[in-house]
Amino acid sequence: MASDTTAQAAKPRPVNAMSARDYAIRYGFLALLAGLVIYFGLAADGFASPQSAVFIFQSVAITGILALGVTATLVVGGFDLSIGSVATTAMMASSYVMVVMGGDALMAVAACLAVGVVVGLINGFLIVYMRVPDLLATLGMMFLLVGLQRIPTEGRSIATGMTMPDGSVASGTFSPEFLALGRHRFDLFLPNLLPISVVVLVVLAIVIWFFLEYTRFGRMMYAVGSNERAAQLAGAPVNAYKIWAYVISGVFASIGGILLAARLGRGDIASGNNLLLDSVAAALIGFAVLGAAKPNALGTAVGAVFVGVLLQGLTMMNAPYYTQDFIKGAVLVVALVFTFALSKRGKR
Amino acid sequence: MHISRRTLGKLALGLLGASTLGGTALAQDKPAPFDNPGQVKIALVRYLSTGDFFQAYLSGVEAQAKALGVDLRVLDSRQDAALQADMVDQAIALGVDGIIIQHGLTESMKEAAQRAVDAGIKVVAFDVNVENPAIPQIEQSDRDLARLALEQAIADNGDSWKAGYVYVAGIAPLDRRDETWREFKAKYSGINEAAMFGTMDNPIANSVANQARSVLSANPDITVMFAPYDEFAKGVKIAVDEAGLSADVKIYSADISTSDIAAMREPGSAWMATAATNPAVVGQVSVRALAMLLAGEDPGHNVVVPPTLITQAQLNDNDIKNMEELGAKLPQFAHADVVVPAWMPLPAVK
Repeated sequence: MASDTTAQAAKPRPVNAMSARDYAIRYGFLALLAGLVIYFGLAADGFASPQSAVFIFQSVAITGILALGVTATLVVGGFDLSIGSVATTAMMASSYVMVVMGGDALMAVAACLAVGVVVGLINGFLIVYMRVPDLLATLGMMFLLVGLQRIPTEGRSIATGMTMPDGSVASGTFSPEFLALGRHRFDLFLPNLLPISVVVLVVLAIVIWFFLEYTRFGRMMYAVGSNERAAQLAGAPVNAYKIWAYVISGVFASIGGILLAARLGRGDIASGNNLLLDSVAAALIGFAVLGAAKPNALGTAVGAVFVGVLLQGLTMMNAPYYTQDFIKGAVLVVALVFTFALSKRGKR
Repeated sequence: MHISRRTLGKLALGLLGASTLGGTALAQDKPAPFDNPGQVKIALVRYLSTGDFFQAYLSGVEAQAKALGVDLRVLDSRQDAALQADMVDQAIALGVDGIIIQHGLTESMKEAAQRAVDAGIKVVAFDVNVENPAIPQIEQSDRDLARLALEQAIADNGDSWKAGYVYVAGIAPLDRRDETWREFKAKYSGINEAAMFGTMDNPIANSVANQARSVLSANPDITVMFAPYDEFAKGVKIAVDEAGLSADVKIYSADISTSDIAAMREPGSAWMATAATNPAVVGQVSVRALAMLLAGEDPGHNVVVPPTLITQAQLNDNDIKNMEELGAKLPQFAHADVVVPAWMPLPAVK
């Protein structure tokens, strides 16, 4: 495979020549994570249990999936601010299809994925062909979607039995198959342990990790991100890679929206800003994992779990919500210091 | 034009005695300026607008304005305090006869409201204290909301239980509900608050569900969850369901919406009761209080819309599926007998 040479280029130093500083950069964050787990395991009753572990994954499943999507855009040197509102728009779309139009689970899922693809294509089109800077294009898309999701119901949340703007009562219901996406649990060692959302997170993390690290397509996306001009001169269809990155981001965000709708069982009016911020935080924390100093899927997944462990542990110890925001921010700052100050490859 | 109408309004003030005397006999005769309602312009200046509560509030305002036949302008500042104050000035410039201020910050609205009063415009305020004796304050009684829900919790569970409490400080209605919770804790020593949590990260229900799951695994002996805001309650219910504790935990909340009704009515739902004021009724009351002012009558300085307790059993017994059926089958929820002078036309019950 052609990726052999690029893989070596990404690891300039041989592993055996690592100094203490290199170890700190490489494993510091994982050590911090392990330390947190041990601390909470001792300090909080019930933290060290399989249910608790699964729950941590469940609590970060949706933001984690969004974060994996935004990682794809970070890889090509872009950014996607619209993922939070794509997720909530997908949530509204699935609810609308089922409750108002009386569709089934398959139609709802298809509608959500279509939302993701279309938004991704529009984002990519704006950025590549209209030359709108990525932050601005996706910011515009974010506002557009926050408004758009409210238009069909005139600003109401969608729930079974809701009254439509024209006074009639919506007849559809959330289909049980769709709700199962948010509520069904697989047996794993213990009965009813593993929720579908966690399975989806793990599968998507592995898929996108393999895709970005080991396929030609993924390696080329990194090439576009690190030096767009060089990639173009080397004959890579840069525009296509960039558009694909936004489509991936949109689709992942809409998958997050499907899981959100299935968990809540209704279409909630929400801007999704907190989803956006949490998932971007996870992706940025991911830069620090294993000293990658670049967007990477494995790091993003670890970053999401890190935030999940922290929030779960703090909540179990009755820490109020503002301390949690504070600590989340502190972790992000530390992670970014790991990435940009300690790492010699941090200068982008 | 405006001046003549205001002079007319002052004339009406002088004729107040006559109109109230004749009011009972001739219920259809509306006092000026509502004998010619098409000429009356009122403005609703909003601070908060997104969400089911505010949507329903608006529909109530619209329904009552339509019943009166007045011209309603809606100005929405979308949580921009400075813009909201500007919008009051905009409404003054539009030459409206009355203004309803819906939410906002005391600091930014106090002076704007005073400017409107100085311009001879009648003003009422909902859920924002503008500290002005000329401006009636419309309130839903948050203390009563919390009291009704907690009384039901005590009726269901006795006065000794371990509780989880969902609260975010700094949000006025939640702070008022919190006062009642403190009173109950002081009054009933058997109520033990094992955990307090809460967040406003949206989607709120999803974020609260994550927190509640942690709380439940740390405190598996909690039997009552007091979540005095329906988004909180919805999140707690998701967590209780996911933890398989629906039979062991009971949830008491405040506020209601169609999706809340569905969640309360799910088989085996842990969500036992909620206390709520119908936001549409609050909207109607706001317009009625303003209309009384315009007609030269006094609705009183504090207009309190009383809440209703809604239990899971009531919803199931009456087979209530959405807010409209709730209003139809629990009449105390659909209409509040607040500020209803005899001449006041009421919106048709849907």
